[in-house]
Amino acid sequence: MSAQTAGPETLGHLSDEPPQQPQDSTKAKSITGKSPMRIAMGRLARDKIALVCAFVVVIFVLVAVFAGAICSIFNVSTDTVLPSQYLDTLGGGLPLPEYGPPNGGFTIDHPFGIAPQSATDNLAYWVYGARTSLEISFTATLFASVFGIFLGLIAGFVGGVVDKSISFLVDLFLTIPFLLAGLVIAPIINQNFNASDNYPRIQFWALIVVLAGFGWMGVARLIRGEVLSLREREFVQAARVIGMPARRILLKELLPNLAAPIVVSISLMLPTFVAAEAGFAYLGIGVTSGISWGQTINKATPFFESYPLYLWEPVIGIVALVLALNLLGDAIRDALDPKTRR
Amino acid sequence: MRRTKPLAVVAGAALFALAACGGSGSDGGNPKADRTYTGAAEVTKDPERQAPAADVEGATAGGTITVYLPGDPGPDSMDPTDGWSVTGNSIQQALTSRSLTQYSRDPKTGEMVLVPDLATDLGTPNDDFTEWTFTIRDDAKWEDGSPVTADEVAWGIQRSMDSDTFPAGPGTEYSQSYFSGAGEYKGPYTDKGKKWDGVSVDGQDVTIKMAKTFPDMDYWGAFMAMGPVPLGKASTPPDYGKHIMSNGPYKVESFRPQEELVLVKNDQWDPNTDPARHQYADKFIFKFNQDQAKVDQIMLSDNTESQTSLSNALGSNNYDRANTELGDRLVQQSSQCTSFLSPDYTKITDINVRKAIAYAYPYQDMWLATGEVPGVTRVPANSIMPPGMAGKHDYFVDGEQFTYNPEKSKELLKEAGYEPGEFKITMVYYEPDPLAVAGQKVLVKGMQEAGFTVKGIPVQDSPYNIWLDPDNKVNKTLNMRGVNWCSDWPSGLTMLPPLVRTGAAYNTAQFSEKSIDDKMSEIPTMPLEQQADEWGALDEEIGTKYFPIIPTAFRNDLYVFGSKIGNPAGDGQIGAPDYKDLYVMQ
Repeated sequence: MSAQTAGPETLGHLSDEPPQQPQDSTKAKSITGKSPMRIAMGRLARDKIALVCAFVVVIFVLVAVFAGAICSIFNVSTDTVLPSQYLDTLGGGLPLPEYGPPNGGFTIDHPFGIAPQSATDNLAYWVYGARTSLEISFTATLFASVFGIFLGLIAGFVGGVVDKSISFLVDLFLTIPFLLAGLVIAPIINQNFNASDNYPRIQFWALIVVLAGFGWMGVARLIRGEVLSLREREFVQAARVIGMPARRILLKELLPNLAAPIVVSISLMLPTFVAAEAGFAYLGIGVTSGISWGQTINKATPFFESYPLYLWEPVIGIVALVLALNLLGDAIRDALDPKTRR
Repeated sequence: MRRTKPLAVVAGAALFALAACGGSGSDGGNPKADRTYTGAAEVTKDPERQAPAADVEGATAGGTITVYLPGDPGPDSMDPTDGWSVTGNSIQQALTSRSLTQYSRDPKTGEMVLVPDLATDLGTPNDDFTEWTFTIRDDAKWEDGSPVTADEVAWGIQRSMDSDTFPAGPGTEYSQSYFSGAGEYKGPYTDKGKKWDGVSVDGQDVTIKMAKTFPDMDYWGAFMAMGPVPLGKASTPPDYGKHIMSNGPYKVESFRPQEELVLVKNDQWDPNTDPARHQYADKFIFKFNQDQAKVDQIMLSDNTESQTSLSNALGSNNYDRANTELGDRLVQQSSQCTSFLSPDYTKITDINVRKAIAYAYPYQDMWLATGEVPGVTRVPANSIMPPGMAGKHDYFVDGEQFTYNPEKSKELLKEAGYEPGEFKITMVYYEPDPLAVAGQKVLVKGMQEAGFTVKGIPVQDSPYNIWLDPDNKVNKTLNMRGVNWCSDWPSGLTMLPPLVRTGAAYNTAQFSEKSIDDKMSEIPTMPLEQQADEWGALDEEIGTKYFPIIPTAFRNDLYVFGSKIGNPAGDGQIGAPDYKDLYVMQ
């Protein structure tokens, strides 16, 4: 017998054994009377990883929302300072020992230490970095999902030419690498708006547009597929027969049934955008005039040996947030999926 | 000669950066300060120097030398006529492209000595320096074995008149100012077929006629633009810049602009024809646009490959470690460079405001934020002419060295009739470099405390491209620019006119005073021995009377040499590693 080439998943189908029956049919009977959402919430509540991740995410959100308050509690700020009084000029621009690591102990004035070369406060930059990160990823997710859901609903429900053209649009956008788009758009924004006083804000919104503009296709495809299968179901047919307007069918009949895939795609879109924002900032595009974890990482890499803490702070921030969001997203997907059994 | 390195631009300019700690010069109290800024040694002349060059003590032949150039894109074209950057000229003049004269490093004193190259001496001027004759040696050869002729040297010189074909070449400043026909004859490509009487050949003698007194022709002769170029079609630009014909000890094996240049031994070069160059290593590999952090790691690791490598820059974050671990292999080289802020003379008309800017600029903080080592790679500057230049005056525009002094700045602003925050400075900074952005923030903070309002416009292009383009939309809104300038030879002639003459390309302050212009054209006509002092006096006059450009820093560079590179040293004339005398220890 030759070696098996197929992976374990396909083995089941290739073998002669009958496919395994979903085993939660009996269980489903015992919890009849609960809505699918309630079942899902119940499952989530029993999932320890999901709870821990949700807790981490909430912490980050609180940090972002109360960034100003946190900074004033610790009496730190993101203000630029004149660095020469804080730094060892001949010691590679590292902070003097009395201002904290790496050469001195932690101080209460600057709990996370201060940055080499510029002597800004690390805690304040970290906290406001979290705000930038979450602000951008939440806003981009909101736009991308609203846009994606809208187009997906229309394409699936109307069909015909509309479906064809929207599908073409989806395919077209999928062919453009968003990193490339970001790299192209950054100088254009700079060229046109660099003299404007609102330049940092314009950069911020441009980044959101890039992220959302190249992030909606997945949702649109997913929703379209779901709508295609739902619109032939009896309850939709019935609604049509009794003369419900299309808008009402879409919003009242179809959308509630799409809650699960939407929640899943949103929860997986968030961490992607957090990572993408940091990646853009690291490449020197995106919010160059603001405060961002990615930018701090970019500045900190040369110091990975002499002042590792400076690099670890934003890295840990990004890793913890992205990991928590991802695991939470996975848990939500598992909880909402009627076919999984835990 | 301008520094092409974007980081230097950033540091010098965008950050507009650099200059002065609090009057105390370097931080004398710091125990780690065993290195401080050093001024360049003076350049001397030796017209009698004969080929071959004296052997470097202990030098052995063979091996490959790798040169890392962090953040430095290197030259786009290797055409000798086009070369006017520290990086390109330092490599080509040392290794591939000979000219009338050249520099040789004195191993004992570290001084650079001007010695003959293709000419047999340093040239013979007539009484009033309006005609220079160089006798070309008859034994030098091209890489294909054909002899270098006087006609080819004359052709090279004629090409340098063509400012339209070589807009970034040094001929735009010197050939087009001093050679006969300056301003009328536009060069052999632009004015095709037109006769030019500026250069004539008689046997091995090349005679250059000047439009006005030009006593510095021997120095100008050390530029590769004053060297031979193959006649006729073989040297048609821009193709020639990609495939130059070498006549130095090395020839080009491959050249990929902004990436890599590989030079191998040129077997047609004879040491008996060259009074200063050597041919020890088999191969030179120049790697442009390297990542500073990566190069620092390579150089500090001292592994087999890095032992035969060198880097022409060191990240300030590794300065402390390199200083303790590398010893003599960390070479601190002064170069005759000054960084300036250039307040627009037509917009900021009150000298008190310019002085206020000089007090409002946070020198030390800017150096730190932009990755310099204050007191080592940057020190406060007081004059346009850098230290080591003959005739430099130690004057202070405001009686003392400018330091960051917000109170003084506000006082001066008040005198000029501005309340704090009322006077607005508009400038650009180089956005793609995080250090430039950090520096700009510090500058804004510092100047705000000193009573200015600063608007920084982020640009993604080299700031020079903005400042030097009179039609640029952004440029028109600026009232402060900058420039980083290095001397082309040790004379005020290469510092003052290119920066403050009316209409000069790098006169980013748009300074224009007729009396100063007149004086600048008068000084070269004076007796030779007075000129240095006259330039120094003029420097002081410009500074104290008009103060059009604010010197922020004199600079030093740090080079890192691998442990098996022999004779680690710098060339103080051009401000680069001394490639001529390097060898690999066997």
